[in-house]
Amino acid sequence: MVAFPPVFGMSAAVVGLATIVAPLAAFLLLGLLRPLRATGTPAAAVAIVAALVSTACAFALVFAGAPREAVADLTVPWLVSAGQTWATLGVYLDATSVPMLAVVTLVGLCVQVYSLGYLHDEPKESFGRYYAFHSLFLVAMLLLVVAKDLLQLFVGWELVGLASYLLIGFWWQKPSAARAAVKAFWLTKLADIGLGAAIVVLYVQTHALDWSPATVQALGPAGATLVAALLFVAVMGKSAQFPLHVWLPDAMEGPTPVSALLHAATMVAAGVYLLVRAWPIFDAAPDVRLAMAWIGAFTGLFASVVACAQTDIKKVLAYSTCAQLGYMVAAAGAGAIDAAYAHLIGHAAFKALLFLGAGCLIHAVHSNELADMGGLLRRLKFSGGAFIVGALALGLYPSKELVLAGVGHAGLQGPLVLLLAAAGLTAFYMTRSVLLALFGPASAHADHAHEAPASMLAPVLLLALLSVAGFALFDSVAPVLVAVRERPHSWLGHIAHGLALAGFAVGFALYGPRRRDALALPGVRAGLAFVRAAAVDRAFQAAYRMGLLAFSRSVAWVDRYLIDGVMNLSAFASQSGAERARRIQTGKTYDYLTAVVAGLLLLAVASVYAR
Amino acid sequence: MAQLAFGLVAAAMLGSGLLAVRSRNLVHAVLWLAVSLIATAAAYVLLSAPFLAAMQILLYTGGVVTLMLFGVMLTDHRHDGGAPGRLSNDSAPQRPWLGAFFAAALFGVVAAALYQTPLPVPAAALDASTARLGELVLGDHLVAFEAISVLLLAALLGAVALARKTDP
Amino acid sequence: MPVQPWLLLGAALFALGVYGVLTRRNAIGVLVAIELMANAVNLNLAVFSRLHGNLHGQAFALFGLALTVAEVAVGLSIVILLHRSHRSVRVGAASELKG
Repeated sequence: MVAFPPVFGMSAAVVGLATIVAPLAAFLLLGLLRPLRATGTPAAAVAIVAALVSTACAFALVFAGAPREAVADLTVPWLVSAGQTWATLGVYLDATSVPMLAVVTLVGLCVQVYSLGYLHDEPKESFGRYYAFHSLFLVAMLLLVVAKDLLQLFVGWELVGLASYLLIGFWWQKPSAARAAVKAFWLTKLADIGLGAAIVVLYVQTHALDWSPATVQALGPAGATLVAALLFVAVMGKSAQFPLHVWLPDAMEGPTPVSALLHAATMVAAGVYLLVRAWPIFDAAPDVRLAMAWIGAFTGLFASVVACAQTDIKKVLAYSTCAQLGYMVAAAGAGAIDAAYAHLIGHAAFKALLFLGAGCLIHAVHSNELADMGGLLRRLKFSGGAFIVGALALGLYPSKELVLAGVGHAGLQGPLVLLLAAAGLTAFYMTRSVLLALFGPASAHADHAHEAPASMLAPVLLLALLSVAGFALFDSVAPVLVAVRERPHSWLGHIAHGLALAGFAVGFALYGPRRRDALALPGVRAGLAFVRAAAVDRAFQAAYRMGLLAFSRSVAWVDRYLIDGVMNLSAFASQSGAERARRIQTGKTYDYLTAVVAGLLLLAVASVYAR
Repeated sequence: MAQLAFGLVAAAMLGSGLLAVRSRNLVHAVLWLAVSLIATAAAYVLLSAPFLAAMQILLYTGGVVTLMLFGVMLTDHRHDGGAPGRLSNDSAPQRPWLGAFFAAALFGVVAAALYQTPLPVPAAALDASTARLGELVLGDHLVAFEAISVLLLAALLGAVALARKTDP
Repeated sequence: MPVQPWLLLGAALFALGVYGVLTRRNAIGVLVAIELMANAVNLNLAVFSRLHGNLHGQAFALFGLALTVAEVAVGLSIVILLHRSHRSVRVGAASELKG
């Protein structure tokens, strides 16, 4: 094992620990000290300083110049059984976890700074609460990233889900937000059953919870298939893969920065991160990977189609996130895990940029609707420009070619076709959004729109810069981060680019600068897509009613009549038995005397005859 | 001669005993008990246990019966179903057939056992001088004697403690 | 004279006592019946003393006498206590032990 080089003159693992401890301290301070939380901006400062420390540590680790095989392990035994440690708690740094650390902390920092401006009008108390939740999310997400085995990852995974619930429902007074929070929570919990079951199966089969090749060896092919399938169910829930994607669009009820952090850049990527992290298990389960490729590709196309029909800018981006996660899952299914990871990291940057840029637009017109925007670029030069950069990145980002190459290389023609179609659609709907929001005649709201404050612009511009840099330097940066193969300059890349350009062109033609009243033009297709989007929801509701409620009812029946029945029966038996036995104690002296005499008679009979 | 004496004693004991348990007047019942106890003392004489006979009369007839008469007089029986105006009456026996059954059953069992068990006829006489009895009680059975004396002390203290009027 | 008639006499006396214990409603009546039973036991001890030709039985009969006296003393004090607390010496008066 190659040791990680020291960072800041300290052991790398300690620095890794610091990335978690800083937001943890902020969370505890904000969570426990109500007066501090109620101060508003100072509370936010505490969280932001913690995030800054965290980010600095993470980037120091990235730039420490560690060789790819380097590992830093600072874990303590957590669960020890029969002398064997099967779960650990601590920090495990290697070439997989360190880039993710940097992504999570950087996006987290950007979003926290951005929120200073975006949520400026919030009451001080709930402003502090918001930052407490954000710190909790960072702790949870980092805990997940640095996990050495599935159990710690599970803890982080669930805490992340909790933070997501709390942040989606941040405006809990809004019924739709409260409902969306509950929906996201339950749907991801439903999927998390897979993760829990996978842990159980893994432990039963191997008495270990990690993903080392030795564990996979002990698991055997059938066991690996089962565990991988169960894990993938959890991934589908967290990373919003069809048909478990329905919670993600609703999660847009949360504040836009939350959408950027959790529901675009980091938390939803946790599912894909699990694929990368536990790759040896998936690698040993080709059947599951085939299903992954198809599901991912289908989600990519389906979500792209639906995104074309959305009128809410955040929903467009939400479905786009679904689609891009579908790309990653499909790449993992094709075995191109490095491509999936590269896409994850790139996507985190430009999708956070898109969301934060969209947040600037929303902030300016106080509406999510594309129809209320229009002509905004004239007034919002910086944020509008950043949004355009994000849209271009989404359409053309180089890691997408890696994904396509991986899928093509694996010989999966069907998923490849789906993903290529999705690539064209992606360019189309982003063009549509950009044209509708930023160009054309100014809407009524756009007249008094004004550029976002500096606290919002700074993160947006930083992310835009990073996206551009990632775009330009992809070939030199990506191999360092995720050890991708050489970017294939094959016909696939050209086709993808061609399709994207075609998408841009079609979008431009339909929603061109003179802005024909084009919202209604693809009305037929929009209606169709809407029906389909809603149909999944409705199917879920029906399945929920029929399946889960019937199951619950049967469980309730078993509980009420069988289990409680046994309990009640035994309780009744002992009670009535005691009631009867009680009557022996009449309290009447002559009854006792009679009993004494009867006992004497018995003794006499016994001593005379029972010899 | 011996049979006649036994018959008289037995008739006196059983007759007075029956009246002692059946009499509705409690004072009468206690007095019939005294008669039965005195007849028992006579039986002790016939069984060549003169010291026992003396003690029987002294303790039982002199002590126990007197105590019981005091007990009857110290308690008020008017609320207990006795005839009005008669302080010492007991009401009708309860569940007499149950009592009779158990009495008969116990007697039957013991009688059957006696019938089955061959017992020798004892020697004509037994030297039961008080001196020998005293030596036996204070010799072989000294521990039992001391235990009984402690028990008596404890019982009397307990009786005083129980019957004493306690502070409200 | 054989001992069987004496022993039968003792058993009959004991049975009378049992009948009294079970049928008396008055606590003092019960005590009287118990005296009869104790008396029967003492009589048996004297009879067996005669049968075995030694005085051990008589010695135990003496102890039995003492025991009986103690029992009467305690019993009567309980009766007086019962009368004081329940205004009654009926055997059925005290039923606090009812379950």
